[in-house]
Amino acid sequence: MSIILSESEAKALLQKVLAYSKADECEINLLGEERGNLRYARNEVSTSGSLINQNLSVQSSFGKKVGVATIDEFSDESLEKVVRRSEELAQLAPENPEYVSILEPQTYLKSTGFFESTAGINADKRADAVAKSLELSRAKNLTAAGFLDNQKGYSAMMNSKGLFAYYPSTSVNFSLTVRTPDGTGSGYIARGYSDVNKLDTAAATTIAIQKAMGSMKAKALEPGKYTVILEPTAAAVLLENIYFNFDARSADEGRSFLSKPGGKTKLGEKIVDERVNIYSDPTHPDLPASPWAGDGQPLDKITWIEKGVVKNMIYSRYWAQKNNVKAVPSPSNVIMDGGTATMEELIKSTKQGILVTKLWYIREVDPQTLLLTGLTRDGTFYIENGVIKHPVKNFRFNESPVIMLNNLETLGKSERVVSTESDRNYMIPPMKIREFTFSSLSDAV
Amino acid sequence: MKPFFFTRIQYTSGNWDTDQRMPSNLLHSLVEYTTIPIDEKEKVVQLNSNEIFKSPFCYLSGHKLVEFSTQERDHFRRYVQNGGFVFVDDCNHDIDGLFAKSFEQEMERTFGPRALQKIPNNHPLYHSFFKFADGPPTTSFELNGWGDDLVHDYLKAITVNGRIGVLYSNKDYGCEWDYDFRNKRFLAVDNTRFGVNIVVYALNE
Repeated sequence: MSIILSESEAKALLQKVLAYSKADECEINLLGEERGNLRYARNEVSTSGSLINQNLSVQSSFGKKVGVATIDEFSDESLEKVVRRSEELAQLAPENPEYVSILEPQTYLKSTGFFESTAGINADKRADAVAKSLELSRAKNLTAAGFLDNQKGYSAMMNSKGLFAYYPSTSVNFSLTVRTPDGTGSGYIARGYSDVNKLDTAAATTIAIQKAMGSMKAKALEPGKYTVILEPTAAAVLLENIYFNFDARSADEGRSFLSKPGGKTKLGEKIVDERVNIYSDPTHPDLPASPWAGDGQPLDKITWIEKGVVKNMIYSRYWAQKNNVKAVPSPSNVIMDGGTATMEELIKSTKQGILVTKLWYIREVDPQTLLLTGLTRDGTFYIENGVIKHPVKNFRFNESPVIMLNNLETLGKSERVVSTESDRNYMIPPMKIREFTFSSLSDAV
Repeated sequence: MKPFFFTRIQYTSGNWDTDQRMPSNLLHSLVEYTTIPIDEKEKVVQLNSNEIFKSPFCYLSGHKLVEFSTQERDHFRRYVQNGGFVFVDDCNHDIDGLFAKSFEQEMERTFGPRALQKIPNNHPLYHSFFKFADGPPTTSFELNGWGDDLVHDYLKAITVNGRIGVLYSNKDYGCEWDYDFRNKRFLAVDNTRFGVNIVVYALNE
């Protein structure tokens, strides 16, 4: 049997598993994937890897007693074994007071996240793509280290109420750091796509090279509040902390940035600049994603922040039932609308500011205000009178993405980016922000 | 009680017009936490004018050179010795920056050597309204300083007859408290509270 099952093969396998079930309710999740990667460092390829993975997870329940077991062998014997194990565990388990009965069959949006171009990547194609990158860094006598990773796979689920869902997808991820021989200059890029035809490793490498060469011998600027231009790669690692904290229960229980005193929440309130619109849509052409959540709930287009106002929060089925509202599942993608400005225009219109190309090592300082800390890296530049003047030494920052989106000056065009913290892909625009707080200097490059 | 008004000192040698939104954030906190009546408008007074002697509380800051003219020096000295209060805040974050060096020299010229002394972190200033058990609160710019791993864990002052006449900080509170007032609601703890202590101390002592 192949690792990647078609919709009909997945359905047949899941039906076979369900036939073994003796529980009150049973829900099965199935996934299969094939990955390949090429890792390089010091201008030489060091690892060529491939990975296959398949996994079947069975959740059985008797009343409110729930058990889960997983397996990666699909013989009839194994399938029966995993079902029995989940049932034994359920019988042993105490009642889960928050268990919600499984879903009836649902209808889903059509999302196209599987591309033959990406599915067809093999070791040769990876080597070609990386060679294009290496040629450029070697020619400039720079040192490159990078990683190219491609994936094709599917996820499927079925439950004893007749619900069935299937979603195939592909992805390719390319990241690269380029350093100057003296070690004082560094440039970074990361690119993620569903369709490998959009990946241009040479063009991406050229940008990393420019940043590395441009960031040599940086000068220290005093920490303080500066106007910053955040490239999408830098903005992503801050904004995703907003996305991760949209849970209604955390807000209701006073644990999140959406909480208000007295057990209230900020739902319906304007919390950021009115130009901020953040939503999810599995059918987005540049960021296709699964149209169903892990428990089978449909993921439809949903707005989180519209014109600066909190429009929706994530409600687990249990919390929704308890509060008598509609359940809102966790999204499979997040998109932030942009403006029309190009990077060049953002720089040109800046009297005094700092261009931040990457932020990393992001940590939460205060969950209730979403105060974060982290560092700039791989090319940070001082802008004066609309021109990049010189590279600057890296900073530590202390800033909340909520305050940051209140200090918004200009938005650029939204583009697909990869978070260097979580590896997730988003649509995020470059943005110009007033009064971004840099708290101290960092000696790293 | 006459309303409290915030006076910013304009001096000739450096950049005196820093952190323009700070005073309104501080005045907002006085309304929020105290019963002190306030005048909402910041007053800017030239150090060489006699207007200075009408202000119970003055603020002086900058990044650059502090070198008073003869008349400015005379006014500053007389103002402080006659019971006035000046909160001086260095906008740079290194204690050896131009503002710090030149201001400290200027104080030596004006009040004599060693007039400026560190105040203990249990000084009445730190519990004049809110309690600051560890002395001056840190700002977001000095987690590990200006590349020197230095946190300024004290303030300095010139004391006249047992009360502070010049309170001197290298912590850049002005910048810390200078933000769009609408962003105050996103702070876990209002960071201008120490400013309330400074004003209350200046008015009470």
